[in-house]
Amino acid sequence: MATQAEIFRIDGVSKSYGGVKALDGVTLEAGVNEYLSLLGPSGSGKTTLLRVIAGFEAPDSGRVFFQGRDVTHLPAHERGIGFVFQNFALFPHLTVRQNVAFGMANGVEKVAEAEIAERTQSVIDMVGLTGMEDRGVEQISGGQRQRVALARTLVMHPKLVLLDEPLGALDANLRGRMRNELRAIRERMGVTFLHVTGSETEALAMGDRVVVLDRGQIIQSGTPDDVYSTPASPAVAHFLNRFNLFEGSLSGGNFTGPFGAVAAPTARRASEDVYAIRYDRVRVVPAASKVTGPALTARYVASEYLGSSVMNFFETADGKVVEVEHHLSLGAPETYEARQNYLLTWEPDQAIVFGREGK
Amino acid sequence: MTDVTVASKRRGSTWLILPGVVWMALFMVVPILMICYVSFWTQTTFNISPTPTLASWKQFFSSDTYTGALWTTVRIWLIVLAMTFIIGYPTALFVGLFVKSKTLSTVLLVICVIPFWTSFLIRVLAWRPMLGKEGAINIILQKLHIISQPIEVLLFTELSVVIGMTQIYCVFMVGPIAFMLGRIDRNIIEAARDLGAGFGRIFWKIIFPLSLPGVVVGAIFVSVMVLGEFATSGALSGRKVNLLGNIIVTQVGSLKWAMASVTGVILTVVMGMVIAAFLRIVDLKQEL
Repeated sequence: MATQAEIFRIDGVSKSYGGVKALDGVTLEAGVNEYLSLLGPSGSGKTTLLRVIAGFEAPDSGRVFFQGRDVTHLPAHERGIGFVFQNFALFPHLTVRQNVAFGMANGVEKVAEAEIAERTQSVIDMVGLTGMEDRGVEQISGGQRQRVALARTLVMHPKLVLLDEPLGALDANLRGRMRNELRAIRERMGVTFLHVTGSETEALAMGDRVVVLDRGQIIQSGTPDDVYSTPASPAVAHFLNRFNLFEGSLSGGNFTGPFGAVAAPTARRASEDVYAIRYDRVRVVPAASKVTGPALTARYVASEYLGSSVMNFFETADGKVVEVEHHLSLGAPETYEARQNYLLTWEPDQAIVFGREGK
Repeated sequence: MTDVTVASKRRGSTWLILPGVVWMALFMVVPILMICYVSFWTQTTFNISPTPTLASWKQFFSSDTYTGALWTTVRIWLIVLAMTFIIGYPTALFVGLFVKSKTLSTVLLVICVIPFWTSFLIRVLAWRPMLGKEGAINIILQKLHIISQPIEVLLFTELSVVIGMTQIYCVFMVGPIAFMLGRIDRNIIEAARDLGAGFGRIFWKIIFPLSLPGVVVGAIFVSVMVLGEFATSGALSGRKVNLLGNIIVTQVGSLKWAMASVTGVILTVVMGMVIAAFLRIVDLKQEL
């Protein structure tokens, strides 16, 4: 992506609210025609970051560049950056058509009536709202409102669209459909999307590149595969919600945790010693089995059927819950006796180890 | 739920409006019908009899005093309505939209209501030492050598009535507008900005249309109160400005019940037309 022309760049942007740092020296750039997803827990500053890029908030320090131009002090309505709000923020007194045409009819540049009508109709057709043009926006469903919000922004032909948890207000079924549509629409329009989300599955599914934000700082940036298989820190592994994390201590290339001492030759540098093993890498064997490598005794608690896999929950003696995912494509799930002890084990080279000694 | 229980529930809940219906019938519908009826009674100097006649109606429309009062009422109403809107809308815009903190905006609205902690008559009469020939405004302007002679049009003129009414009724315009403005989702305004609209466009295309129900409610409040006014005009015009309300007070005072009723009916019709006209502007049922 670095070879592509950059569409926007923010440089060392910081922003505080009443002494609390929402953004702390964030530097980020995106290329033309890229889908960037920004993952972070609530309170990580992701919405603030979008608002700074859009121009609704001025950063305390740092600069914002858009299409090579410094727009740090340019008001929002002169930036030409699209913004899709989480609650859609449609104009409640206007029809679908009037909502979509609003930017062209009232924007900085004058657009001829005929062109407004034509562009409005073509974008309404594109997002699949043909026939609803004259409905009020209170009379349409949540998914349709989402489309109006998107159409209203895309009709302005922005080079960059910021989406603030755009699927958050939709039900699960619709969310899946809108994901595909968002991607398809973006590819057709050739614009850069910066999609903010608190959902790790959404971030991994949507982005060409995933940026992880925590406490106002970017803690990892890479392809979904990079982020998923090699999280850069315990915090990233935690947000991905795919890893069992164990505390312990790393010394001399060995990690000592509740599962015993295990060789960890490829530990990564981090500020704390944490051992991470993916849910679907853990094997369950009877308590009496002899295993080499990590072995953790845990009590079976419950399981959750997820359709394509089964998630089993185990509890260790000190009350920590360990999740074990069994993909159904690998065969029928084992049944476990409730409240019985089992031994959990895994291949040590599939674990990701973080530590102060790491490289 | 079966139809029977739904029906019995509905019948049960109908009773809830009974006290309201009785109250309105006794104290609004019956009196209005009475006034209409009495306006056709025959009035002699010291007596009134229920013999039907159009005499009082003819007298109202043939006398310059009465028709003049009607036009004065309409004129003062329009001026005060415009003034309360011109002063009230920016105030409401500030209180309801630009003040970010909900607490501060509530405090500001309460401050608007503080004058109502004193009685109506005191508020009206307090304008006399303010506007009079030797009143506060004239003294200050003279001390500052801005004027050499006191301004006499300030008190006991139509101007003083307009000033007094605007001050008293402005808050009834501010309240509903500020309420509607406060309900506007801030994201909508940001969305409009993001789509490239400057403040002027956002105001005329988004903010003003969304606040219109508040303007209509405020205008109805102000209109109903100004049209029925008699105290402010009585106290601040020195009896020079006669509104329909003043006519009614005078007629009732001299026991001219038929004439008072004619004026009352006309006033009620004017108010009804004004309210109906305002309600045509927005569908309040839908907006509130």
